Amino acid sequence: MGLSSRGRLAAYATAAVAASLVHEPAILAVALACALGLAGQPRWRLLNRTLWAIVAFNLTISFGYVLIATWQGNFRTNYLLLVNLRVVLLVFLGFWFASHVNVLAALRGRPTLELLATLALGQMQVFARIVRDFRLAFESRNPARPRLADRARNAAAQGQTLLEKSLATGTEVALAMRSRGTFDD
Amino acid sequence: MHIPDGFLSPQTFLPAYAVAAGAWAWAARGLRRQLDETTVPRLAMLTALAYGLGLVMVPLPGGTSGHALGVALLALMFGVRTAFVAYSLVLLLQALLFGAGGITSLPVNALAMGLAGAAGAVATKRLLTRAGDTIAVGVAAWMSVLLPAVLVALVLGIQPLLAHRADGTPLFFPFGLAITLPAVILPHLLIGIGEAVLTVLVWRFAKSRKWV
Repeated sequence: MGLSSRGRLAAYATAAVAASLVHEPAILAVALACALGLAGQPRWRLLNRTLWAIVAFNLTISFGYVLIATWQGNFRTNYLLLVNLRVVLLVFLGFWFASHVNVLAALRGRPTLELLATLALGQMQVFARIVRDFRLAFESRNPARPRLADRARNAAAQGQTLLEKSLATGTEVALAMRSRGTFDD
Repeated sequence: MHIPDGFLSPQTFLPAYAVAAGAWAWAARGLRRQLDETTVPRLAMLTALAYGLGLVMVPLPGGTSGHALGVALLALMFGVRTAFVAYSLVLLLQALLFGAGGITSLPVNALAMGLAGAAGAVATKRLLTRAGDTIAVGVAAWMSVLLPAVLVALVLGIQPLLAHRADGTPLFFPFGLAITLPAVILPHLLIGIGEAVLTVLVWRFAKSRKWV
């Protein structure tokens, strides 16, 4: 599809509203099948991500509904199908949209938001790398199960490094932006 | 405490988008002036921290999730407007990258956690100024979790009333207020304590570096 980022956003928003206006499980199932068909090759990867993203919440709510509705004598299979299909469809559409649209490109034209998003995304990568490095180092230092006190010390050191490292990285980026006149507008 | 996609009726999320759009426009005004090479790294760091905290979530039977927010830190250091914009961005990224929350629940999540949470934190800290910094910041952080939890529970709990079939079967979220209020609020009373401890620790870190 040759849609721009804004066009994709409009299509996604329209589809999301439409999905929430449909209350027939059969229609939602057909819509999900169509979305899977149109998503092309990454469809199973996207569906897999979707199912992992929703499984905990939907199982919690579905089990809760089964218990309470059965106890109250008004259980409806139709409701379970409806709500689970709708959630799968909406989350699948969200991941499909996100896989085609660069978030930073979608924020173009909103310079402050784009600036903040760029920095926050950079910080998230810094956070992820530090957490992984600390975990690997901690595991390598503790062949046996570590004590709670050791875990707490490791968590405290990790927390402080996270804040200081991300601040240092953020400062570097901000100074680079300053030198390019980002804050002069 | 993200409300997932698909559990809010259009009668809820469409008006919520209208309210949120006004709030986002209000919050974005003057934001640019506040940003410079000193504040931007701190804001980005706390935004990323809020993003990370929000992803460590536990599903709650009341239909939402339990997790720390980090919005109190943003609000106490940068004010309500900036915290609201930054937290809305966090929610958008979490929805698009991890499916946490979603496009239909974004405005309610943003208004509850980003705006009410931030405003609750700032107001509480002002009220408790005389109680000392640690108590004021801790209670403010606790309030920044509790207030959104109450709002989320209310919004979820009214869904069966707003959207149901003729025979009473719900079309979106299935549980009423009698279930959502205790199921969402009680765990967040405890989560708020964790948030308070974390916020006080980071607040002290920030003070030791003379950011506040």
